[in-house]
Amino acid sequence: MFRSSLKSLWAYRARMSLTLMAIILGVGLISGVYVYSDTISRGFNEIFEESFSGVDIVVRTESDFTFGEGVFISEADFDRLTSVPGVQRAYPSLAGLGVSLLDREGEVVGVQGTPTFTSNLTEGDTAGFVIDQGAYPSGPDEVALDRETAVAEGFQIGEPITLISEQLGRMEPVLVGTAGLADIDGLGSRWILFDLPVAQQSLGRQGMVSGGNVYVEPGTPVEDVIAAMTPLLPPNAAALSGQQAAEAQAAELQENLGFFTTFLTVFGYIALFVGAFLIYNTFRIVVSQRTRDLALLRALGAGKAQVMTMVLLESLLLGVIGSLLGIAFGVLIAVGLQAGLGAIGLTFPSTSLVIAARTVVVGLTAGALVTVGSSLAPARRASRVSIMAALNEDGVPAARRSLLRRAAGGGAITAAGAGAAWLGLFGGGGLGLSAVVWVGIGVGIVFLGMFILSPLFAEPITSLLGWILERTGMAGKLARRNAMRSPRRTAATAGAVMISITLVALASTMSGSLRATIDEVLADDVEADVIITSANQFDPTAGFSAGLADRIRQLPQVGEITRLQVAPVRTFSVRETAAGPEENINDHNIASIEDNFTLFLPPESSAGTLLPGPGEVVMEESIAADNGWEIGGEATLRFEQAGQRTFTLVGTAAGPAWNGLISISRPQWADLFASSSDSQIYIQAAPGVSPENLKSAIEALPIVEELATVSVQTEEDLQTQAEEGINQLLNLILALLGVTVIIGMLGVTNTMALSVFERTREIGLLRAVGLDRPAARWMVRMEAVIVSVFGCLLGVGLGVLFGWAIVRSLRDVGVTTFLIPWTPASWSVSSLLGSLLFWVAATAVLGVAFASYPARRAAKLKVVEAIARL
Amino acid sequence: MTAPAPDAPPTGEPRPFAARAERITKIYGSGDTRVTALDEVSVAFPAGEFAAVMGPSGSGKSTLMHCMAGLDEVTEGTVWIGDQDISQLNDRRLTRMRRRRVGFIFQAFNLVPTLNARENITLPSDLASVTMDREWFNQVVETLGLTDRLKHRPSQLSGGQQQRVAAARALAARPDLIFADEPTGNLDSTASGELLDFLAAAVRDFGQTIVMVTHDATAAARADRIVFLADGRIVSEMTDPTPERVLDHIKDLER
Repeated sequence: MFRSSLKSLWAYRARMSLTLMAIILGVGLISGVYVYSDTISRGFNEIFEESFSGVDIVVRTESDFTFGEGVFISEADFDRLTSVPGVQRAYPSLAGLGVSLLDREGEVVGVQGTPTFTSNLTEGDTAGFVIDQGAYPSGPDEVALDRETAVAEGFQIGEPITLISEQLGRMEPVLVGTAGLADIDGLGSRWILFDLPVAQQSLGRQGMVSGGNVYVEPGTPVEDVIAAMTPLLPPNAAALSGQQAAEAQAAELQENLGFFTTFLTVFGYIALFVGAFLIYNTFRIVVSQRTRDLALLRALGAGKAQVMTMVLLESLLLGVIGSLLGIAFGVLIAVGLQAGLGAIGLTFPSTSLVIAARTVVVGLTAGALVTVGSSLAPARRASRVSIMAALNEDGVPAARRSLLRRAAGGGAITAAGAGAAWLGLFGGGGLGLSAVVWVGIGVGIVFLGMFILSPLFAEPITSLLGWILERTGMAGKLARRNAMRSPRRTAATAGAVMISITLVALASTMSGSLRATIDEVLADDVEADVIITSANQFDPTAGFSAGLADRIRQLPQVGEITRLQVAPVRTFSVRETAAGPEENINDHNIASIEDNFTLFLPPESSAGTLLPGPGEVVMEESIAADNGWEIGGEATLRFEQAGQRTFTLVGTAAGPAWNGLISISRPQWADLFASSSDSQIYIQAAPGVSPENLKSAIEALPIVEELATVSVQTEEDLQTQAEEGINQLLNLILALLGVTVIIGMLGVTNTMALSVFERTREIGLLRAVGLDRPAARWMVRMEAVIVSVFGCLLGVGLGVLFGWAIVRSLRDVGVTTFLIPWTPASWSVSSLLGSLLFWVAATAVLGVAFASYPARRAAKLKVVEAIARL
Repeated sequence: MTAPAPDAPPTGEPRPFAARAERITKIYGSGDTRVTALDEVSVAFPAGEFAAVMGPSGSGKSTLMHCMAGLDEVTEGTVWIGDQDISQLNDRRLTRMRRRRVGFIFQAFNLVPTLNARENITLPSDLASVTMDREWFNQVVETLGLTDRLKHRPSQLSGGQQQRVAAARALAARPDLIFADEPTGNLDSTASGELLDFLAAAVRDFGQTIVMVTHDATAAARADRIVFLADGRIVSEMTDPTPERVLDHIKDLER
């Protein structure tokens, strides 16, 4: 039986190759993501292991703020900690963000993407970075870089390099050495290395360290020393063995990268899901083409079970072959991901590609399961072939059955899904699930229901689409009728296109809405002509020294100016629920504001005062409401370094610009944060000065030129910048979804091939009575266009609907504008890719392209043979 | 073999040929599988003639029809439709020629299932993007008794009605000649008689040329002339046939 399965796979190789391609693409995407993320993980693990190799004890601080600036302990605490008996030597260390490196052209290196860290390097500390060329840096005039960065930027030992410290401004130390982590290449980040005092000053952490490496006296058990240190540990600090520290860092990293890899893996599974449709269709086609052979087998005595086993065995074989090829293809995808994400600045530590056993197992299992699962129904059909009917069958599909049951079932499921989504949107969730989860579940169910319903739409929509094509002549008319002939098949084929386009439309709608929201907030709610931020987008706490605002204030072109310091903060409250008291902790931003702040960010409505004094806080109305805080009452905030503090709530404000904002006074800031950097400066031009003029006046200031990390932007610039950022993410998503679109289109190829095969005699007849070859080709192509565009329209409809639901549910986090991006916002490629009409046009063109092969087959049919075919 | 002389037209005046073949040979396959389906056949069908082509299975009668209708290429020899040499035409020109100058009635699967009767009838004109003469269309449809069946899809029509729609399609375009390949093969005797009556009337009343391939003696006997094929050659012909004479002749040929 195995032999006969192999033979029939070979006999139907053309058709099977499409299936194979679907499996390869789907499995390839999944295993590619696994290979990529495993490679990153191994890279990081090597770094961590090397960082702590030979260290007996690592003192480190632990922050539970994901996007914070880290927490620090005082040098005195570290010294006390390391003066316990058994310690031979100890090296305090400090690492943080806040210093930028300029390249030879004076541009900041790595504005986006992976970060530039600043740390200290001490001779004698044999773990982590060790100088491998030159000398250890000492004093404010000396610096070292990691080997790769020095090579990449072409810096030579002995020459001065330029750094911008948020705290110290421009620095020009001499590069005295390059450091490496053993022989590891591909750190994925940049390191600026000073001696400890300079590192502390440049990061604004005088007297602070983030931990350090400890070596114990030979013969002293490490556990004993750790035990002695433990009672002396300041809050947020821990003492671990070198091994434990490496493991802990690796675990934290997995957690942080988890979201990213899950995000990528999801696309792999979507691709495989879409591929399942194609596989199902292919097996249906192959079975129907072989009806006669299978019936003959049955007539000769093969049992039903044998026929079914044969078909299933074929699919298993195909699944295994496809998955193996897919895993191989996945390695290429991993390389592509590395290059693609590297190009937009996301470089990670790299080692040789890691192909873990898990990758192979998951790829094989997923591929084989999907293939066998999708061929179950066709296999059952094959085994039930009526012997006599099949031997006489002339290849015309069975008349369609009633669609009533489908309408009822699909309608009910869609309604249930819509209900769940509605509950999430307007009922605030329930059953312990958050609103967003409800919307997600609802959307998924609506998806399923729509899928069942889609054959019902097939007739009217294909009829309408066909009506347009019918204007082009007889080929269009025939294409229209053919597409309408079998709504179920049309819908099944369009279904695969629908899924991928739904996701494309969802991504486009969400990014469009996000863009529109930003545009609107900037245009309507932010009253500033020029906004100054840090160009260093990676560092959430990046800023610049306070001197900048003072200098700008003196310009005659400046009207009003205000400064903000921004950092992450958590709200903390306890609310009573039926199950007892529950902690309510949420992440927000806290900003220190000046008195004229509301001139720049006027609220739509407010209560109390918007100018907090000492011990007072003002926040967005909904944050206060969520925590049950009232004006005049207390509000508890948690800070990364300063810990938990209680304030008096003196005012609330609402409006898009106040979204997620908590504000305190500027003097208060100094109590809570070590860094005195400004994060944002808002400026209004003096009367008669245009934003552009103001911008150039500011840019002409020597201090701005010196602080190369300062980004001076008009509202228009900010809009463009935001759009670019959104487009970048959208492009990444679309690149991944592109694979699923292609799989969906392969399904169109498949169905058209079946269509041509089934209608051989009809095409022969048409050719006899005068349909010429080009018209025969276009007949098939236009049917493909109808089917593809039908799928696309369903997808656009669903995607926009889902997008609306999700945007609606994100209103609380500030996405206030819903926008359907029908037409491109500009003529850039990424805007084009984000517009829905583009995708409608694209699927039409893809329909023509992917129908080429069946169209050619149709045109090449020999009239006489086609007519004579039984 | 010499070209058989065409029948003298009843009016006594020389009539042009609707279709003519000169020494055509059709060979399928090559080497061991080489089959000579037509062997230097020459035949002519004058305009206004109702001709039948008979012969046992494998005699090449369908191949002859396919080659003369421009559906298949000849290996050697020349085919004319009217005064046009079609042996050298490319596919596009050949298709256009068929559209305008040849009508077809096949044994089965004559109609496009997605088109209704009217659309099937006008299909050749629609493909050629020409408007059909309305009066002529009505006359044909009426003669064939299809007036109240025009909106029906093929699946809603009986076998006889389907063949009449096919006949209407063939006739409606006013082709130089109609090739009918076993048009009554799938019909009962009543339906078959009706269709043959119509074909005969089309020749008689409208001067239509029809070439019909059949192995049914009764059907063949309706023709003005019968050409007999065997082993890819024309072996004999018969004018003014009757069913009895046809059957006798077939017996003679088989002997």
